[in-house]
Amino acid sequence: MKEKKTFFGQWLQDFWGICTHELRQIFSDWGVMLIFFVAGLAYPLLYNVLYMRGVLNETPIAIVDEAACPESRRYIRELDATREVKVAWKCINMAEAQKLMQERKVKGVVLFPSDFGQKLAHNETAVLSIYADMSSFLYYKNLLMASNFVMLNEVGSIQIERYNALGYTGQESFQLTKPLLYEENNPYNRAFSYNFFLVTAILLLIIQQTMFYGMSMLVGTQREKNLSFASLPDRLSGHGVGRVVLGRGAAYWLVYMAVSLYIVFIVPAIFGLPQRGNYWDVILLILFFVTDCVFFSETWSTLISRRETVFVLFLVVSPVCLFLTGTSWPTTSFTKFWKLVSYIFPGTFGVQAFLNMNTAGGDLSAAFTQMFYMTIQTVVYYFLATNCLYLENWVINHKRELLELREKIDEKRGLDREENAYIIGGEKSLKRVRAERQKLLSEETDD
Amino acid sequence: MGVWNYIWAVIRREFRIIQEHPIYIFGSVGVMLFIALFFFTFFKGGLPQDLPIGVVDNDNSSVSRNFRRQLDATQLGRVIEFDDFSQARLEMQKGKIAGFCVIPKNMYSDLLSNRQPSITFYVNGLYFVSGALAYKDLLTMVNLTNGAVQREVLRARGVPDNQIMGLIRPIDIDTHQIGNVYTNYGYYLSNIMIPGTLELVIIIMIIYTLGMELKYETSRHLVKTAGDSIFNVLAGKLAIYTVLFSAIGLLLILAMYDWLKFPMQGSIWNMFLAIILLVLSSEAVAVFLFGCLPVPRLALSVGALYSVLGFSLSGFTLPLEAMVPWIRGLAEAFPLRHYYLFYVQEDIFGAGFAGWWPEAIHMLLFLLVPLVILPRLKGAFINQNFPKE
Repeated sequence: MKEKKTFFGQWLQDFWGICTHELRQIFSDWGVMLIFFVAGLAYPLLYNVLYMRGVLNETPIAIVDEAACPESRRYIRELDATREVKVAWKCINMAEAQKLMQERKVKGVVLFPSDFGQKLAHNETAVLSIYADMSSFLYYKNLLMASNFVMLNEVGSIQIERYNALGYTGQESFQLTKPLLYEENNPYNRAFSYNFFLVTAILLLIIQQTMFYGMSMLVGTQREKNLSFASLPDRLSGHGVGRVVLGRGAAYWLVYMAVSLYIVFIVPAIFGLPQRGNYWDVILLILFFVTDCVFFSETWSTLISRRETVFVLFLVVSPVCLFLTGTSWPTTSFTKFWKLVSYIFPGTFGVQAFLNMNTAGGDLSAAFTQMFYMTIQTVVYYFLATNCLYLENWVINHKRELLELREKIDEKRGLDREENAYIIGGEKSLKRVRAERQKLLSEETDD
Repeated sequence: MGVWNYIWAVIRREFRIIQEHPIYIFGSVGVMLFIALFFFTFFKGGLPQDLPIGVVDNDNSSVSRNFRRQLDATQLGRVIEFDDFSQARLEMQKGKIAGFCVIPKNMYSDLLSNRQPSITFYVNGLYFVSGALAYKDLLTMVNLTNGAVQREVLRARGVPDNQIMGLIRPIDIDTHQIGNVYTNYGYYLSNIMIPGTLELVIIIMIIYTLGMELKYETSRHLVKTAGDSIFNVLAGKLAIYTVLFSAIGLLLILAMYDWLKFPMQGSIWNMFLAIILLVLSSEAVAVFLFGCLPVPRLALSVGALYSVLGFSLSGFTLPLEAMVPWIRGLAEAFPLRHYYLFYVQEDIFGAGFAGWWPEAIHMLLFLLVPLVILPRLKGAFINQNFPKE
């Protein structure tokens, strides 16, 4: 027999045993491997390719120039020169422009009314109209920005002309038209590029979601085989919860530290995403984040009873998570309820911390709040995971009672599983259902 | 006569499956309910309000105070004051404020003496919507201040008020947002995200129900029930899901364009048609994917990958023309892309049949795709010769 070990030695041995067992499970299940390694490694590349350019340039627009004056022509030339839009068509009237827009040949229309030049000549305010296709907000943004830039520029030169006419000259008129200057900076994302924020957010969510899907798949598989992930070492009489949770977690943690390093360091380098964070700061963040994700997945994967159900129930959570990170719709405008929901996911904090640190180039203090919340999440999820384990053990030990309960409910619902089995799968299924039931009833429930 | 009996038998059988496994209801009705709840309530108000915008006021004059107050009074902004630049910068880096501006020392006296002081502003473009809106808000405020100063100067010099406006603002822009007058983010995103999720749910659900036949080795019995015809099998199985998902789709369209009054140029009836076409084409894609890969787990993984990509490739956020050319063609393989184009024609331009008929045909073409794999699927169902897991 084995020699008696200290508590700590025993703990380590169990921990190691559970961890290696779980690793073996992961690497011998090619569905999980597919999710961890193919999806985990290919998805980041795929999304980078999709959003590689990130910026929409030269949106085609149509011009309806009813004024046909020198000012409007200059305006049009300047519009065409902007990065945002390209004058693709010049139309006789609005009807023609509208038709082009509906045919999607242009994404916006700029209309100079016939009194445009006249009003300018009379020193009045000349109004031009822009019509933006709102099917994508980027079309609208481009048209709005381009026409505003040109407008501000034009306004400047027209003002100088007018002040000159009033008798102000040279420097004086320039000072009058622009009493207050401004300088704009968008230091972290100069061109409001899409990939800088969206792809960065997606990268971290891929870590969270693939880990959750993979782990759930494995949990489902083990449940189907009646080999629960939760079975405690027998001799411990219910005391080994900590080492099971930690041991299993360690296996995923190891795998995901590797995957995460790839996602966080190599992928951005390939696609030229900003990497302004300090290397060790980012490593520390990843440590927090992956640990958090492990316990998060261990807790929620308890809900999965069959191998495939995780996709059916939780695939839609991915886009929701993306919105909950607050990179598009700002966190300050969340409603109370959705703010609370966003606290469920490690990704909410992970993405924000990563953006602040790696993309905006902050140091640890820029991600302190998020890392603090992730720590709380980790602790909470650890305890939830242990409780799920207790629950799971209780379920394993009370299979018979649960079966009886289920049969009672079935009876009330008028559900006859044997009849169903016969209709669904014929003689073979019926036999299997009967055998399973028999097996459950004959099993000794160990206490 | 016989065919109908077989199909009816498959339908009755499928009802038994749904009755026994609540996941079919949770995975379709439950999930869509959650998603609808999310998108209908998340973007409250449609446009963010009271974004935190920092101000570093080094001037502390009546003009700078006025600037602060006015910025605070805008619908978009809420001013948070900072003592120095580095403090504000750190808060922006943390994502706590959407942007900030630095008012230079002696701004007021510089203004009075025509020395053209310069306001500097910074925005965080990593939090996309708030950054872009803060940028807009700050720019507007600077231009308004400019106008106000000019007006004072001109008044002091005796220029009559009716001339001042023309001097300050010679050109103005009148903006019209076609299809979303209020620039409402909720409308914008829900219009495609909700049908997109429906596509996702359909693909996953259909693959799941087909896959479970193989996994529990009930497929042979199923083919027998259907009178040894894979066509009857699919007709029976899909009949239930088509009815279910069409009902969900119609309700969602009704909720969006009738109850919640999303902007709509065309007719809701045409959108009903669009969503039904989306349901049918998504089902066809699901059957095709499963037929190619009759391994439940693998097909589900591929289906998940495919349908999540559909959101990006529909091109309603970052338009396709901004993507690399060789990826654009791929978008044609997604029903959601065609639904989006259909929606643009009907909802935004009210173009009607003349506008969207090519998209309707595209979506109908998807229905032919599964024909290619029917024999393979039948083989898989009868021989059960693929890995079960």
